[in-house]
Amino acid sequence: MNVKGVGILFNRGKGIEKLENSLLKGFALPENGYYKISQELFCDELILKNMRRADDFSKLVAIAAIDAFKDAQLDETDKEDLGIIFATSFGPHPTTFKFLDDIISFGEKEASPTTFSHSVHNAAVSYVSNLIQNRGPTITITQFVESFYQALILAKSWLTEKRCKNILVGAADQYGEVMNYICNKKLKLAKDGKIKPFSFKKNPDVVPGEGAVFLLISSEEPVKYCKIEIGSDTKKDFVDLCIVDTDGMSGNEEFYLSLKEKYPLFASYTPIFGSMLTSMAFSLVTGILMLKNQKTYSVPVEENPHNIPLCNKTESKGINSIACIKYNCEGKQMKILLSKQ
Amino acid sequence: MSGLKFPVTGIGIISACGNNINETLISFQSLKRNGKKVSLFDSKIDCPVFEVNLKTSYKNMRTLDLALEAVKQAVEESKLLEVRENYRIGVCIGTTIASQLNDINFYREYRKSGEAPIDSVNRYLNSNLADAISKYYNFDGPKCTVANACSSGTDAIGIGLSWLKADMCDIVICGGADELNIVPLSGFFSLGVMSDELCKPFDKNRKGLNLGEGAGIIVIEKEEISKKRNMKSKFYVNGYGLSCDAYHLTAPRPDGSGLSKAILKALEEAEIKPEDISFINAHGTSTIDNDKTEGLVFKNLFGGKIDFLSTKGYTGHTLGAAGGIEAVFTILGLKEGWIPASIGFENIDETIGLEPTRERREVKGKYALSTSLAFGGNNSALIFSRE
Repeated sequence: MNVKGVGILFNRGKGIEKLENSLLKGFALPENGYYKISQELFCDELILKNMRRADDFSKLVAIAAIDAFKDAQLDETDKEDLGIIFATSFGPHPTTFKFLDDIISFGEKEASPTTFSHSVHNAAVSYVSNLIQNRGPTITITQFVESFYQALILAKSWLTEKRCKNILVGAADQYGEVMNYICNKKLKLAKDGKIKPFSFKKNPDVVPGEGAVFLLISSEEPVKYCKIEIGSDTKKDFVDLCIVDTDGMSGNEEFYLSLKEKYPLFASYTPIFGSMLTSMAFSLVTGILMLKNQKTYSVPVEENPHNIPLCNKTESKGINSIACIKYNCEGKQMKILLSKQ
Repeated sequence: MSGLKFPVTGIGIISACGNNINETLISFQSLKRNGKKVSLFDSKIDCPVFEVNLKTSYKNMRTLDLALEAVKQAVEESKLLEVRENYRIGVCIGTTIASQLNDINFYREYRKSGEAPIDSVNRYLNSNLADAISKYYNFDGPKCTVANACSSGTDAIGIGLSWLKADMCDIVICGGADELNIVPLSGFFSLGVMSDELCKPFDKNRKGLNLGEGAGIIVIEKEEISKKRNMKSKFYVNGYGLSCDAYHLTAPRPDGSGLSKAILKALEEAEIKPEDISFINAHGTSTIDNDKTEGLVFKNLFGGKIDFLSTKGYTGHTLGAAGGIEAVFTILGLKEGWIPASIGFENIDETIGLEPTRERREVKGKYALSTSLAFGGNNSALIFSRE
């Protein structure tokens, strides 16, 4: 699978250049203990004028998806059958709660139809299809911590069976007050506002975040950014760098200690984005950027109680392959390999 | 037979027209309709719904309980428990409700005091359908919960097919499940697409849909695995098509071009022609727009004499479960050699110009089609066959 386009919207802005800019600047404390995208960042007028009634979740998804789509510069003929696979852990939960507000405040007969139609998980990609005018297969899936990984498995299946040649594969999750309450009840919110990705603790710190990432992946050459392999395909054991997707959201992170001897260098960039169950998509984009630029970026938070070899320099470097690893709550490993060729 | 051919080795069903296959067939024969005012929760909406008489509770979200009932039937028929350690078994289930954190009692409490018991959140987190079913049976293949609105069940089976074709696993448990819930009840009421009487799919005087609940599950596998396991299935999944309208958030594209595209893709995968289709289990929700679009497409692609039916009159619209339930009904039609009357239909709608089955009809051919349309402009089609 070749990555031909990348789109991202996160708390510091839109686009892969903004991501590089943030990696160069390093860690920034969140304002209120969580990373939320400010309304000024929902700033793509061309996109948003066609979705004035949409909720923030749909806007978030559309901005990142269109960013990746434009970046890939597909031919008009490839657009028609473009596939879309979108993964979300919790969907547009603030919109769902807004709909419940309607029911509680005004009664079930007086709730807003617009709010209801946006509370459905796949409303967001419906906007994306409308904006792109693609008519190919479009799927929304939800698998909590495995959402993005399972989306890539499906993308690989579609490319293998030639259901489509090009697919927008993305992930998004949204911050919300109720979700913050749930995180506080079930996990450990970081008192200092800092995710510590290398603590590898049983009860790691969490800083809720939100954002969206889309990749345009293709079965066709040439390779614009890099290649992606998943799961059992990742036979290459030697990689230049291992990005661990540790942000506290899956609970126990002790599983990552077993990786210590297996890779020459480790990194994690979750403190840039905040904690999300779909964070693997964000970690992956960072790896893609490194391969494209042939450059390592210093990790934003360097606390390293287990003395693992950390990537703590921003420098030009020949990088051939990067592994991106996440464990689910039961300790099952999900591994994605990025390679230059 | 040519093209794709993946044996169906197990089916499971639970809906308002029966908690298993036998009860379902009896409902079809006796033209039984269980639609009545909702009793599962308090509601001021006085439209009929189709509830399941669920006899076992596993203390999960109701959607997962429904799914497990159907999965158990399918797993038993497919004898999967005996071989689960030998094969990569994937689970792909469509839903709408189980994908959302929408417990109104939790939220009412949170709104009131800023605090709420977390047990309903835990129930939601433990009820991701694909994850929960994988764990329940200790399966080790890919897992995917599809949230593609009302085509989710059909798309879950389509994803299962894709996994098998791409060698992601050997066997897949797939279908859909959904419970009756206050959010879609209020939502569809607010959209003005619910009928205050029992639904009448494709009828001139149709007033809208009735909501329902249930689960429909099938087990599909690679043919070589099925042979190795000595499973003597005579029924197959042959093709899947999925397209997007790129038109409107809640309404289908009126010219039906999206649905046509999905059906043509499924036919292409199965390597058959429209005239090979013996009957269509339509989405047939009984809304003005859906039935008109589907009717137009059926007429254009299959001509004016194609046998088609909507089973929503027996089950209500079960949302994410519908595609799974109707896949099972389609296979049952091929297996039993007959399809039931499209209950609720009385008067032909001249703007559609087609009428669904008025009475039990014999199935003559090999192939059948099941269609689903959904919010977001999704159109999905599956083709099934018998030997």
